[in-house]
Amino acid sequence: MGVSKTLRRGILAAALSLAAALSSPSWAADSLTMWVRASGANAAQHLVDLWNSGHADKIALTVIPDNQVVSKLAIGVQSGDVPDVISFDLIYMPDFMRAGLLTDITDSMKGDPNFAKVAPAYAHLATYKDRLYGTGFTPDVSILIYNKDLFRKAGLDPDKAPTSLQQIHDDAKKIRALGPDIYGFYFSGSCPGCNIFTTSPMMVASGAKILPANGDEEPLAGTGVKEVLQLFRDMWSEGLIPKSAQTDNGANFAATFKTGKIGIQGSGGFIISDLKKDAPNLDFGLAFLPGVKEGQASAFVGGDVVAIPKGSKHSDIALAFIKWELTDEAQLEGLAKNNILPSRIDLAANKYFQADPRIVTTAKAIGIGYVPWVFHFNDMVNSDSSPWIQMIQTAVFDGKVDEAIAAAKAKMKEIADE
Amino acid sequence: MIATRRGAMGLLYAAPAVAFVAFFVVYPMLDLIRMSLTNASLLGGGEFIGMKNYVKAAGDATFWHALAFTAEYTLFITPILIGAGFLLALLAVAPPRIAKLTRAVVFMPVVIGLGSSSLLWVWLFDEQVGLINKLLQDLGLIGQPMVWFADATLGLWAVILSIVWKVVGYGMILLVAGIQSIGADIFEAAMLDGASYWQRVVRITLPLTVRTIALTTLVSAIGSMLAFDQFYIMTSGGPKSETFTSVYWIYQNSFIYFKQGYGATLSILLMAIIFIASTAQLLLMRRGAGT
Amino acid sequence: MSASPRSMHGAGPARLAPRLSGRGSLRPTLRRAFASPRLYLFSALCIVIMALMLFPIVMSLLASLKTSAEASAVPPHYFPSAISFENYARVFHYQAGLPTYLFNSLAVAFMTIALCLLLAVPAGYGLACFPVPAKEAIFLVLLLSLMAPYQALLTPLHRLFTSLGLANTYLGLAIVHTVLQLPFSVYLMRNSFEAVPKELAEAAVMDGAKSFQALWWIFLPASLPSLVTLTLFAFITSWNEFIAALIFMNRETGFTMPVMLVGVRQGHFGAVDWGAVQAGVIISILPCLLIYLLLQKYYVSGFLNGAIK
Repeated sequence: MGVSKTLRRGILAAALSLAAALSSPSWAADSLTMWVRASGANAAQHLVDLWNSGHADKIALTVIPDNQVVSKLAIGVQSGDVPDVISFDLIYMPDFMRAGLLTDITDSMKGDPNFAKVAPAYAHLATYKDRLYGTGFTPDVSILIYNKDLFRKAGLDPDKAPTSLQQIHDDAKKIRALGPDIYGFYFSGSCPGCNIFTTSPMMVASGAKILPANGDEEPLAGTGVKEVLQLFRDMWSEGLIPKSAQTDNGANFAATFKTGKIGIQGSGGFIISDLKKDAPNLDFGLAFLPGVKEGQASAFVGGDVVAIPKGSKHSDIALAFIKWELTDEAQLEGLAKNNILPSRIDLAANKYFQADPRIVTTAKAIGIGYVPWVFHFNDMVNSDSSPWIQMIQTAVFDGKVDEAIAAAKAKMKEIADE
Repeated sequence: MIATRRGAMGLLYAAPAVAFVAFFVVYPMLDLIRMSLTNASLLGGGEFIGMKNYVKAAGDATFWHALAFTAEYTLFITPILIGAGFLLALLAVAPPRIAKLTRAVVFMPVVIGLGSSSLLWVWLFDEQVGLINKLLQDLGLIGQPMVWFADATLGLWAVILSIVWKVVGYGMILLVAGIQSIGADIFEAAMLDGASYWQRVVRITLPLTVRTIALTTLVSAIGSMLAFDQFYIMTSGGPKSETFTSVYWIYQNSFIYFKQGYGATLSILLMAIIFIASTAQLLLMRRGAGT
Repeated sequence: MSASPRSMHGAGPARLAPRLSGRGSLRPTLRRAFASPRLYLFSALCIVIMALMLFPIVMSLLASLKTSAEASAVPPHYFPSAISFENYARVFHYQAGLPTYLFNSLAVAFMTIALCLLLAVPAGYGLACFPVPAKEAIFLVLLLSLMAPYQALLTPLHRLFTSLGLANTYLGLAIVHTVLQLPFSVYLMRNSFEAVPKELAEAAVMDGAKSFQALWWIFLPASLPSLVTLTLFAFITSWNEFIAALIFMNRETGFTMPVMLVGVRQGHFGAVDWGAVQAGVIISILPCLLIYLLLQKYYVSGFLNGAIK
C-alpha cells in the first residue's frame, strides 16, 4: 500500500492524470457517437439534427479529416475505441469490408423497401462476398458545368451543353477566342481525386473500364482512355486550358470556374449551391459528362456511405438510424430540403428540386453513374504518387499518351496483385 | 564504497530519462526492425514475410528517386546555407551597430515553424495571387506569370529559396560564435603584416573556423536529408512524384497506403544513412567539448 | 546581448559558446578597419539584407489585413487598400474555432516542457555530479534519438501508442516531441550542472545535505538560464512540429496550429482562402517571434550550446 501511494504521487501519474483531464473529451454514455469525414460533415449534420429532434437516443458527430478516416477506424477497431456508426468516403468500402472492420447488415436491410430504391452503385460497393455492410448516406456525383454567358458571347446555344468529346473541344475553342484571359476548359491537373471524379466518367462513357477489382482484370481497358487523354492533350497544347491547371492539386477545383473565365469544366453536384452563394451572377448550365459518341454519358458516384463498425456499443440503434436515414422523411426533409442529393433515385425529382432543374440533373446522374469496386484505391488513384495521376500528367502535359497509359497499366496491375 | 553509493544515486537520477528512451526510442527501433520483416498494414496483415520488403525496396523506383532527390536537395542547399551563412557571419561580426541589428533580423526566421514559413512561401510563389510573379513582372523580368511548381527543378529552387530564408541565420549565428572565438591578437598580427581584409578572411578566419563550418555543414545536411514539411506543403511531391523526399515517401507508404511493414523497411534504410552522418556530428561535438 | 553566455550558464567551460558580446576584444581591431565611406556602403548592404529577410513576413502581415476579396485578387496588390480584420475573424471561426487549436498546441507544448524538465534535469544532474558507472555510455543512450531520427520512428511509435491508448492524445504527441527534444535538453543540463563550481557542490555534501536538496537549493538556482533555454526550445519545437502532429492527432478537434493551417489552405470545396491562410500564419508565428524578441539571449545561447538540432 505504501509503495503504491508513493507511486501514485509519482511524476508519471501526475502527467497521466493531467493528460486525461486535458485529452479529447470522452464520449457521453447515453448518446450514440458517429464519425463523419470532414467533407461530408455539413450534410451529415443536417441528418443528425433531424434525427435528434425526433428520437430519444441522440447522436453526436465527430468530424475526422478526410485522409485520416481509414487509419482512425482501423486503429479504433484494434483498440476498441470505435464510434457506434460511421460514414466515410464510399470508395474505401472494399478495403474495410475485407479487413473485417464493419458489421454485416445483410439480414436487416434485405426486406427494407427503401433500401431497394437506393442508387445501385451503393449496393454494389457495399457488398463483399454476397454480404452487405452499408448503404448510401450523403451522395455526390460528377457532372459537366458550363458558363452560359460565355456560351452566348461565343455564339453558342446556352441551352445546348456539349454532348460529346468533340463538342467539348469545338466549344472550348470558340470560347478561348473571346479574350486572352478567357479559357475554354479547366481541370485540376495535379489532383488525382478530382480526375477520377470528373475525367474518368468521360472514359467510362466512351466504353472504357478504369480500375481492376483484382490482379486478373485489365486496368484502363478500352479506347476511351486514350481518346479522353488525347482530347485533354490537344486542348492543353492549343492553349484552351489555363497554365495554372497543371499544378492545381484540387485547391482550385471550384474556385477557377467561379471567376467566370472558364467555359467548360467537370465538377460535382456540390457546385450548384456553392456557385449560387459565391458567384450569384454567374449563369451556368449543367449536363452529364459525355463520351466520345453522341448520347454516351456517365458519372462518378461519390459521397459517403454509412456503416456500423465492429465493436459498436449501440449497433441496434445504429441500425435503426441507418433504416431511418433511407425513409422519405430523412431523404426529403434532411437532405433535399438543404439542397443535398438524396441517395434514393426515386426521389430525384422532388418538390425541393423543382425550382432548379439543374439539381434534378445531378440527382439523375446518380442513377447512370459508376463507382469502381477496388482495393488499394489510395495506391492506384487517390495519392499524389498514384499511377492514375502520373498517367494524366504524362499524357496531357508531356504529350506521351501511349507511353503514359502503358506505364499506368503495368503499375496498376502490380498494385492489384498485392 | 561511498563512490559506488553515490554512483547508484546518480544512476537513480538518470533512470527516468533512460527508461523513457528505452520505452519510446529503443523499443520502437527494435519494433521497427520486426515490422520491416512483416506485411503489417493498418488494414490487417502482420505475417512474417522475411526479406520481401527489402527486395521490394530495392526495386522501388520511387523510393530511390526520392532518396536521390533528397540527396540532390541536400547537395544544392547545404553549400548555399554554409556559404551565405559564412558571408553573413563576416558581416554580422563587424562593429557598426547596424550589423548587430542585421544579425538579429537574419536569425529571426529560424524561430518560425517550418509549416508556417512553407505556407507563407507557397503563397508568395502562387501563380495567381503570389507576389513573386507580380514582382518579377513589374521588374520586367518575366512576361507571363510563372507556374513555379509545375516543373520539378523550378519547384525545387522555390523550396530552396524558402528554406535558405528560413534557416540561413542558424549557420550564421554558429559561425559568428566561431569567428568571435578567434583571438584578436591573431588579427592584429595579420594587420601589421599589411594583409587585406579578404586575405585575412582566407588565411585566418576560414582555417580557424573550419571545425564550426564542418559541424554546421553536418547539422544542415542531416536536417535536409530529413526534409518533409516544406515539400508536403509546397510541392505535394509533384509534379509526377518527382519531388518526394525520403521521409515523405515513408509517410506516404505508412500512413497513406497503410503499408506499415514496408514503411518500416524504408525507415530502416533511411536511418542507416542518418546514423552515419550523426555519428560524425557527435564525434565533432565531443572533440569540441574536450578542448 | 550584453551578458556573455559564459555568465549566463554559470562560470563553466564555454563549449561552443564563445563571446557573442560586442564588447569582446575583437572590437577595437575591427573598428580601425572601418573607415567612414565604407561604413555607408556597409550600412546600405545591411539594409538590403534586412529588407530581403523582412519582405515575406511583412507581405504576409499586409495580406492578412486585406479584405477577403482583395486577398484573393488576381493579379495581387502589394498593399491593402483598406485595413480589414475579416481574415482573422474567419480563421477564428475555422471549423472547431481557433481557441480550440491554440489550446491544443499550448497543451502539447506545456506537457512537452514538463516532460523535458522532469527527465532532463535529474538526468543531467546524475551524469554531471555523480560518479555514475558507464557514464558516457548512458549519455550516448540518451542522445540516441539524435542518431535515430524520430521521423523514422513514427511508424512503430504509432503502433505503440495505439496499443497504449496514447494515439490522438495530447500526452502521446508530447511524448513524441520529448523524444525529439530530450537529447538537447540532457546535453544542456549536463553541461550546465558541470559548470557549477565544485566548491559550492562539495560544501553542500560536506554539510550532509541530501543530494536532492543540493539539486534544489544550489544547482537549479545556479542553472536558471539553462532552464529558461530548455523551456524555450521545448516550447518552440513543440509549437512548430508538423509531421508527428499530422499523423498522431487525427480528430479534427485535436489538431495543433500547423496542421490546422494546412487544413485552412486546403480550402473548402475547391477554393483557397489565402487571406485566412496568411492570418493564420501570422497568428502561429507570433508567439515564436515574441519569445525571440524578449528572450533572445537565452535562445541564441541555446543554439550555441547545443548546436544539436
